Parts: sequence; structure tokens; C-alpha cells
Amino acid sequence: MHPFQYQRADTADQAVATVTKTATATFIAGGTSHVDLMKEGVHRPSVLVDVSGLPLKQITQHEGGLRIGANVSNSAAAISADVRQRYTAVSEALLAGASVQIRNMASMAGNPLQRTRCPYFRDLTQACNKREPGSGCAALGGYNHVHALFGASDACVATHPSDLAVALSALDARVQTLGPRGPRAIAFPELHRLPGDTPHLDTVLEHGELITSLDLPPFTGRSHYLKVRERASYAYALVSCAVALEMDGPKIRRVRVALGGVAHKPWRLPKAEAMLAGQLPSEKLFRAAATAAFADAKPLEHNAYKIPMGRNLLVRALLETSGLQALQGPAGTAFAASVGGVAGQLAVPR
Amino acid sequence: MNQAPIPQAGDLAPDCVLPNGTRLLDLRGRPVILAFASDTWDPTLAHQSALFARLSADFGSAGAAFVDIASDEWQALDCRGALAERFGVAGQRALILLDEHGVVRWRTVVAPGQELRSGQVLAALEALNPATAPAAGPEAVAFQLSRRTFVTATLAAAALLLLPGCGSSESDQDSADEQAAATASDTVAVALTINGQAHRLTLDPRVALLDALRENLHLTGTKKGCDHGQCGACTVHLDGQSALACLTLAVMAQGKEITTIEGLAKGEELHPLQAAFLMHDAFQCGYCTPGQLMAATALLQDKTMDTGSGVEIREAMSGNLCRCAAYPNIIAAIQDVQRA
Ligand SMILES: Cc1cc2nc3c(=O)[nH]c(=O)nc-3n(C[C@H](O)[C@H](O)[C@H](O)COP(=O)(O)OP(=O)(O)OC[C@H]3O[C@@H](n4cnc5c(N)ncnc54)[C@H](O)[C@@H]3O)c2cc1C
Ligand code: SF4
Ligand code: FES
Ligand code: FES
Repeated sequence: MHPFQYQRADTADQAVATVTKTATATFIAGGTSHVDLMKEGVHRPSVLVDVSGLPLKQITQHEGGLRIGANVSNSAAAISADVRQRYTAVSEALLAGASVQIRNMASMAGNPLQRTRCPYFRDLTQACNKREPGSGCAALGGYNHVHALFGASDACVATHPSDLAVALSALDARVQTLGPRGPRAIAFPELHRLPGDTPHLDTVLEHGELITSLDLPPFTGRSHYLKVRERASYAYALVSCAVALEMDGPKIRRVRVALGGVAHKPWRLPKAEAMLAGQLPSEKLFRAAATAAFADAKPLEHNAYKIPMGRNLLVRALLETSGLQALQGPAGTAFAASVGGVAGQLAVPR
Repeated sequence: MNQAPIPQAGDLAPDCVLPNGTRLLDLRGRPVILAFASDTWDPTLAHQSALFARLSADFGSAGAAFVDIASDEWQALDCRGALAERFGVAGQRALILLDEHGVVRWRTVVAPGQELRSGQVLAALEALNPATAPAAGPEAVAFQLSRRTFVTATLAAAALLLLPGCGSSESDQDSADEQAAATASDTVAVALTINGQAHRLTLDPRVALLDALRENLHLTGTKKGCDHGQCGACTVHLDGQSALACLTLAVMAQGKEITTIEGLAKGEELHPLQAAFLMHDAFQCGYCTPGQLMAATALLQDKTMDTGSGVEIREAMSGNLCRCAAYPNIIAAIQDVQRA
């Protein structure tokens, strides 16, 4: 591990100022992503500014919605009654991610800022433009089964691994930050970048820009998160899907859909969203929307399986959110969010 | 300014004060190895410190002083320090061997960006070996070493191969402030409350709580499986909640109540879950067991966690892997305590 100076920040201003003045300084919160990558030698901060003690640990009512402080743990946010009832997809995404231990440690700001799980990114012997700009991309011609279908570039085909980010994107959350140039708000779907020719930049955050809260706007519809993974629990999504559905009588007034595991950022589906608005929910409609959503998918050598998997997942997520099909487990739990596996056994009589 | 010449093989080494306060002069009478490690020397890698511990024991039995090591904590001499400057190895990975009389017998320097090749070391050793070195000629005199010094040199060579690269191409590009931080890689005072007891340590901030527990405090009940958050073997409680010690920097665990497996039983009286694990045969090799117990005890305390059924326990315990697949018995043990 590269040596660093450790500093504990007492105020947000101090944290921002300390990181801003040193190009290789970084924040650390729960450490579950950062410490792991520091051990691998992928992250090499020279100054580590610990923001975990900052008083950003509240969940409060805010402008008809919810304000979740940056330092609220993934566990605490997931079991908050407000989050579970009003923003069900957020609880489901959190509880279907990582393990109890990791969720206890992980912060709400750190989660969407975790780095890709592209195996070549973590392997210092491999070319990776994200880790070392200009070195190439080993995944392009390598074993790219967990890589992107949408929005990739010749420089990088990685996907973003956060479950939470997918739910926040579908719910149009806002990211409140404090940066070197003062506070600002970023619409969640704008937080992450596509790789383009700068895959080393994951987000639009400036160096030294601190996330202070994630704000969920007012929402009275139903939301839901569904995730497919290689094992029943404690695994990243191969493909995942978040739906935020608002009805107008029997018809869909508005639906927002984001996919996980298919792009460098949560992948919103504006075409499918437009097709669904104003319609009566039905499996046929959902299939048509799913087909349209994946029409421009660009598979790599080893990830074409994600196309039918993603289509089916999207249909199922829409069916379950609209109530045309029962959830696999209680809403707001890991069981509702999982496909098959341990959770599938809940459906079987105990 | 009067620049002292850099001591070469055959020169008497200048007397200096080592970081641990010892003078080189005081070590006359036995061979001395000065090892200069790079700033990427990593005390958090337990296997490195363990290897060094073993090597230094070997040096000891060979009668040598391995002076890069400061008292009970392993610390390599900083390759950017004044001592490195004096021996002409600044910024480089180097090994310098002094014989019983304080004469430099061997120096091997690995230039920045270079890797040490074992052939280099073998060739050096071949030349040093009292059994094979040429017996006559002026060269030979300089290389007449005692067996003891030779044995020491061999061990030192092995150690050198373990020292991580110095001034590798990456660190050559390090910015000025990165270098400043590297040289200032200061230890920090860390106060931890573990199983109700206060501990004061001086640690490199890179040290994970897991290594602080195991290597510094010898609380070895907490296990290291993957060291990357993937197995749960290192599970402890931080303020009553389960957490992974391998991904927690010790310096960041200050101010928290840390509970380890050692703190679970009350004296001789086992925690009910420990007893249930015995009852249900909830382990085979036992390596994952401390982590399983810590995860499960936190779960049992957690009123918000819905753990009514075996399926729910399995989901909540999915962060703890068991190579021996004792899962059914682990679940049974947890359910037993839950019902009680
Ligand atoms: C074995 C394992 C399995 C996992 N499985 C999943 C999974 O299935 N799904 C999933 O979504 N995630 C998973 N994770 C990832 C985990 O959710 C993230 O590591 C965690 O949420 C990161 O939060 P943190 O507080 O620990 O972040 P840190 O590691 O502390 O920081 C992450 C990044 O965010 C930056 N940062 C932190 N706080 C702020 C702030 N306030 N403002 C600006 N920048 C900040 C840091 O500088 C760093 O770059 C897994 C992790 C592990 C180790
Ligand atoms: S896909 Fe992106 S992260 Fe993976 S090797 Fe290529 S550049 Fe690196
Ligand atoms: S050693 Fe910490 S999770 Fe494996
Ligand atoms: S008992 Fe052997 S790993 Fe669990």
C-alpha cells in the first residue's frame, strides 16, 4: 500500500479544503471500496481525509421528499421506514447488495462512488485505461462477460457496479455537494459519465468535491429493484433493473426505468419510458418496451447473454411493480429484489 | 562543503547512529546488514513481516545484527533518509554487508525502475563464498570472509529479494506532494477500545484493524481469509454492529467499541451461541468460525433484522463463507439460540 498521511476532518469545509489543495488527496468514508483498492495498489492517495466523522448521518424530510446524509450507512438507510415505504427500490437495491457487514460500514455517498469490478482494472499487470490512462483496455479482447452493452467506447467497456445508483437514477435523486467553488446540486443521472476517451473519470465531481447528501424528490408511486447474479447472495449484479412507476387510474402516467450492469453508469431507458407512458399495463406492452430498449445494445464477445437476460428482467420488473405479477418476497427486502436463489425459497411454503 | 566519500567494498564503514539509537561502532564484533527498503515497504503485509521475523531470527543465530529493524516493530531503513544518503544509496533499494571489523564487504544496489535479478545476488554470493573464492591474489584478500559473514550474507540476499521495488517507474512520476507524504509516512498514535479494554498503539496509518489485532495485539482469534472483504473471516463488532476488520483502517476504528471473538465468552462461560456451535457441530476446520460467531451474535442482537426463518438467516449470513460447508449446522445453531 502506498504511504499516506491520515487526517480526520471535523467540518465539511475543512475536508474540502484539505483534499482540494493536494492533487493526490482523497476522501474516505466506510473504506469498503477505497481500502480494498489501496491494498491492491490501484488507488494510491498521498493524503487520506476521513469524512466518516462529519455530522452527515441524518435522514430528514426535505421539500416533500427525503434527504439522506452522505454518512448514513447503507444498513441504516435500507431499514428506514421512510425509505422502505416511499422509495422501496432504494431499500431493495441496498439489501440485495454486498453483505450485512459491508452494508454496516458503507456510506450512502461512498456507494455510488465505488469503482468498477472489471477484473482487469484491479490487476496491475494488465492494460487498463481507467487505472492508467493511455495503457489500453485488456477487457476489449479479453474475457468481457461482465462488461457493457451500452454507451461504451474503444477506451473502456466497464460497467458500474453499484445497485443503489441504479435505484437513485430511476428515482431522479439529486446529489448535494460542497466543492472548492461552493455547494451545488447534480441530477443523479448526470453524476456518472460515459467512458468516452476519459474512462479514468467516473463522475462529474471535481477534485475535492464532497457529497453531503442524496435527496429523493417527492414520489407517491411504486418503485422496485430486481437483480440477477451468479450466486444467490453476496454477489454483484450481472444485470439489474430499477422501476419507478406512477399510475393514473388504470393507466401508466409515468414510468422511469434504469438498468444496472450494462453500462458505465445506470442506464436509463428514455425510449421505453416514452412507449409506456399513457398505456394500460400488460405483459405484451412490457415485452415490446423491453425489445425496443435492447434494440441498440452492442454486445462484446462474451456478454451477449445479457441481452435476453436483461429483456426478461425488465419485463419481470415491470410486471411486479405494476402488480400484474407477485413479488418474490416482501417489498423492500432482499428477497423481493432477488431472482431465484435463496430468496426463491421464500416463495416455497416454509 | 566537505562531502564524505561513499564507502565502497573494502572501505571501513563510517560510524553512524541508526534509527533505533544504536551506533554502528557498538556492533563491531559481528556482521551487520543494512537494508534499505523503498517507501513501498509495506508493514501491513503480514507475510512480509512474518518473513522478516524469521530471517532476523536466522541472522541472530548466525550472530549477525540486522539493523534495519527497529526494536519490536519491523521498520526498514528509509531509502530517502540521511543514512541512505551517507551510504550513497538514496532513493534505492540496497543491501550493505559489514563484516566483524566494520568493513563494507558487499553492497548491492537496485537502481530505480530496476528489478533485482536473483542471478545478480547468486553471483555476488559465489564471489563471497569462502569455500569457492579464489585463494590467492590481491582481489582474494579483500574477499576473505569468515564463514559466519558468508552465512549472514546468504540470508541477507534472501531478504533483499523480498524487499519491494524502490523508485519503480510509477513512483518516479510521483508528484512532489506525494513524495513529501511518502517520506513523512509517519506513524500515528492509535487508541483502541477492544473488549472493554483500552489499548494505545503506534501504527503506520496503513495498518488495517485486522493486522493491528493479530500482529500488534496478538489477538489472533480474528482470522484473515481473503483480506479483501469477500469472506467474513475477519468479522468483529464495531459499536455492536458486525464489520470487517480487513477493510477497516485501525486509525479509523478509534472511538468505537471493538468486540472480537476473544470478548464473546464471559470468562470460562461460553456465549450461548458458542455453546450452540459446539452442540450442533457447526464447524469442521474452524477457520471461519470466529467470523461466523461474530456475524451471528450481531444478528441476534439486531432487533431490526427479520430473521424468522432459515432462509432469512442464510441471507443475513451470506457474508460469511465456509470452505467446509458447515452451513446447515451453523443455521441450526443460530436458530437454537434464537428460539431460546
Ligand atoms: C465483497 C464486496 C461485495 C460487494 N458487493 C456489492 C454489491 O453487491 N452491490 C453494491 O452495490 N456494492 C457492493 N459492494 C460495494 C460496497 O457497496 C461499496 O464498497 C460501498 O458502498 C462504498 O462505500 P464506502 O463508504 O465504504 O466508500 P469508501 O470506500 O470510503 O469510498 C469510496 C469512494 O468514494 C469517495 N467518497 C466517500 N465519501 C465521499 C463523499 N462524502 N463525497 C465524495 N466522495 C466520497 C472516496 O474517496 C472513494 O473514492 C461490495 C463490496 C465488497 C467489498
Ligand atoms: S474495461 Fe475499462 S476498467 Fe476494464 S480494462 Fe478496459 S479500461 Fe480498464
Ligand atoms: S479477511 Fe476480511 S472479509 Fe475476508
Ligand atoms: S469450518 Fe472450515 S471454513 Fe468453516
